Amino acid sequence: MFRAVASRAVPRAARPVTQSTFCAPNIYFQGRLRRGYASEAEEKDLVIIGGGVAGYVAAIKAGQSGLKVACIEKRGALGGTCLNVGCIPSKSLLNNSHLYHQILHDTKNRGIEVGDVKLNLAAMMKAKDTSVSGLTKGIEFLFKKNNVEYIKGTGAFKDEHTVAVNLIEGGGETTVRGKNILIATGSEATPFPGLTIDEKKVITSTGAIALQEVPKKMTVIGGGIIGLEMASVWSRLGSEVTVVEYLGQIGGPGMDKDVAKQAQKLLQKQGMKFKLNTKVVSGDADGEGVKVTVEAAKGGKEETLDADVCLVAIGRRPYTNGLGLENIGLEVDERGRLIIDQEYRTKIPHIRAIGDVTFGPMLAHKAEEESVAVIEYITKGYGHVNYGAIPSVMYTHPEVAWVGQNEQELTAANVKYNVGQFPFSANSRAKTNLDTEGFVKMISDAETDRILGIHIIGPNAGEMIAEGVLALEYGASSEDVARTSHAHPTLSEAFKEAAMATYDKAVHY
Amino acid sequence: MASIAAACRLSARAASQQLRSHGSRRAFHKGQASLAAQNFNMPALSPTMTEGNIAKWKIKEGESFVAGDVLLEIETDKAQMDVEAQDDGVLAKILIGDGSKAVQVGARIAVTAEPGDDVSSLELPAEDSKPSKPEASKEEARSASAPAPKKDASAPAPKSGSLGTSKASVGKAQKQTYPLYPSVQHLLKENGLPNEEADKIPASGPNGRLLKGDVLAYLGKISESAGSEVAARLKSLSHLDLSNIKVMAQSPKAAPEKAAAAPEPEVIEEVDVEIALPISLKAVTEVQQRVQKSIGVFLPLSTFIARAAELANEDLPRSQVAKPSADDLFNAVLGLDKAAAKYSRGNFIPEVTALPPTTLSPRAPAKKPDVLDFLAGKKAAAPKAAVGGAAQVVGPLNVFSVSVPKGDERRGRVFLERVKSVLEAEPGRLVV
Repeated sequence: MFRAVASRAVPRAARPVTQSTFCAPNIYFQGRLRRGYASEAEEKDLVIIGGGVAGYVAAIKAGQSGLKVACIEKRGALGGTCLNVGCIPSKSLLNNSHLYHQILHDTKNRGIEVGDVKLNLAAMMKAKDTSVSGLTKGIEFLFKKNNVEYIKGTGAFKDEHTVAVNLIEGGGETTVRGKNILIATGSEATPFPGLTIDEKKVITSTGAIALQEVPKKMTVIGGGIIGLEMASVWSRLGSEVTVVEYLGQIGGPGMDKDVAKQAQKLLQKQGMKFKLNTKVVSGDADGEGVKVTVEAAKGGKEETLDADVCLVAIGRRPYTNGLGLENIGLEVDERGRLIIDQEYRTKIPHIRAIGDVTFGPMLAHKAEEESVAVIEYITKGYGHVNYGAIPSVMYTHPEVAWVGQNEQELTAANVKYNVGQFPFSANSRAKTNLDTEGFVKMISDAETDRILGIHIIGPNAGEMIAEGVLALEYGASSEDVARTSHAHPTLSEAFKEAAMATYDKAVHY
Repeated sequence: MASIAAACRLSARAASQQLRSHGSRRAFHKGQASLAAQNFNMPALSPTMTEGNIAKWKIKEGESFVAGDVLLEIETDKAQMDVEAQDDGVLAKILIGDGSKAVQVGARIAVTAEPGDDVSSLELPAEDSKPSKPEASKEEARSASAPAPKKDASAPAPKSGSLGTSKASVGKAQKQTYPLYPSVQHLLKENGLPNEEADKIPASGPNGRLLKGDVLAYLGKISESAGSEVAARLKSLSHLDLSNIKVMAQSPKAAPEKAAAAPEPEVIEEVDVEIALPISLKAVTEVQQRVQKSIGVFLPLSTFIARAAELANEDLPRSQVAKPSADDLFNAVLGLDKAAAKYSRGNFIPEVTALPPTTLSPRAPAKKPDVLDFLAGKKAAAPKAAVGGAAQVVGPLNVFSVSVPKGDERRGRVFLERVKSVLEAEPGRLVV
């Protein structure tokens, strides 16, 4: 104990200190004046650090519940990663690049001949920015409507009830006190060791949605959802994209193996190249482009991939830098996640943490569920998030979506199950849309027929999965879904037919 | 199933434990009895037991018992067994007395109360349920899994023999207030069961909803526990997995990193106050010489000072510098304010300088900072490195000094006074 303290005392001894008492108070006073301390404001019921999806939803919900709430955000715009540099801008680019790609390659078959097709990347980016700014402004309006105090600045814990905020406008500093404090500081892209992120040549998803021109060649490190979505955008716009993935399948470990295989096949058809079971040994961004050296994961010959741009999409890590956790003795786990209990309390019970900064999948809608639950825990003592029914969606074309467990997980857990599958090629609406790639795969318990997982690859999978989540949440069996009417002709009929195939037989296949 | 035998013995415990575990489940029960008085039901002592005779109550009405006491003897056609109490309590009322024959498993046979409850004024709770065979067999299965749902509804025996040895707990039957699921509706119709039958089927779905698997189990088409096994598995998936958390080790590197992370403008505020106290090392030198003479070991002065500092750092008055934020943050980074109590351990390392014979001031002179430097935002020159030892100790009278944050002078002074008292009064203590 003593040793530990003593070792920490070393930097203190090295600190510049004046060694005299008599003029210190003056200087001290000057310092205080200069920094413009605001007088301490009233204590809030809840102070939220972070205005991302977790933070802003919690703020609005708290305001609606009648709590006095303040939300601290340092970005200058609400909505966090999701709205500013994540889900929303990427979906704008995905949608518009898909349209472009379709006009270029597909409309002719449909009897639409388009003359000169040109890409105006600047305008496409502007369309994206318009969507983003509209949405972030929308949240600001909702804050006002729900009496949430919005503090633009960087928050850091001063003590267990006080957060010091370094304001971004005007440069002053203020403090907020809260009976409860909610940490919702989110996550940041994990950098690849040896490659310095400059967001121009070596980019994360943030840079990938703001490239000034279409790179001729692009290397993507990480074949997860973010990597594949960004790879799709730039591949559609004309880039030659190679995806390097350490695991044996794309889409990350949550994606069902059949779906992952199909997705890879379809994306390859669109022109993407994949290197699975491959690890990146080193990267070099010093020269003209970016050189990435890879080798087979189990060892093998090295190979160097040249590209103009390298996207690092190997995952995200919790972001707690400068939050002053050490001032209040809060601990994180080995991956940097804030340690919480089932009610999101840290070891200091009035300080809670939700969203990417803590455990669970790093998904905006998971954070959103948690923010509603955490406010309910604070106000009512009970909240609800079913972590077994949180969907995942990849917005490539075709889309991939799933909820619940996949086949490899169930096999590993020694669970007996039934599988029902229905291809979109047998679905009338998909046929008329000339968009028939993919299938719906439903997995249910072998004995009880209770649905355990639903995996969709195909057009509109992201919208269709909502029905699967609902089914899972209510403990439905595949027969329940199969006996529910689905409109004709819609893609969702494929969902129903997959359910029929699970407990009985599909009609149209 | 070996564990069933153990479960038999535990079944009586289950009965009382089940009652105890209500606390957290109360909200979900209609007409919940008060916690004080609990029904004690006929336990099942073997997987196949459906009824038994009560041979003799070993505890009388109004008597209290402790965990492990034999409450009563039960006879079946096969054996006679003792029923032990799981928790301490009072036997408030015996409802089915000695010598009663063919008592159904699950029937209420007594009412127990918490130890110390006034039995005479106790309100007896309503009977939980009618006894029934399937419930009984589930009952003992529950004894294995801790928070067992309380049974308070009856279910008639399934048409084809229930698998009495199932281990997983099965949800209880309850009135289905929502429309029945299409699959459930279909199965009921197909098997000629009226809709009201649904209320009698143990349900394993979320919030007690009746699922297809429950009906299949009720009909005996699948194993009785299948539904609840799936439910249990999905339930564990529905929570965040917070097991096996490995706290990030506080690497020694972390400290300077964190220090660097402290907001920049705060440098200006790091104005520390130095507290100094002249301390005579005469006693220490005497002890030092005595030690050397007696055992031939030369202990350097630095050892004495370090040990004295360690002693003096114990339980210092808590840091008062909560208000000046920058210092507070910085000290916290350095672990100065970790304790929540009135006292906290300090981490002072005294700086020792020989006292020049001509100076009367206890403060080290010629260290006056230049105000202009501060106005210009220039950092003050680093102080002389704190010496944990006695490199500069020359004379018997030395000035011990520590830098403390503004406002925390008392803490520093207490520290120095303790160092002084240890070094001057009882330095012998430091070498024992």
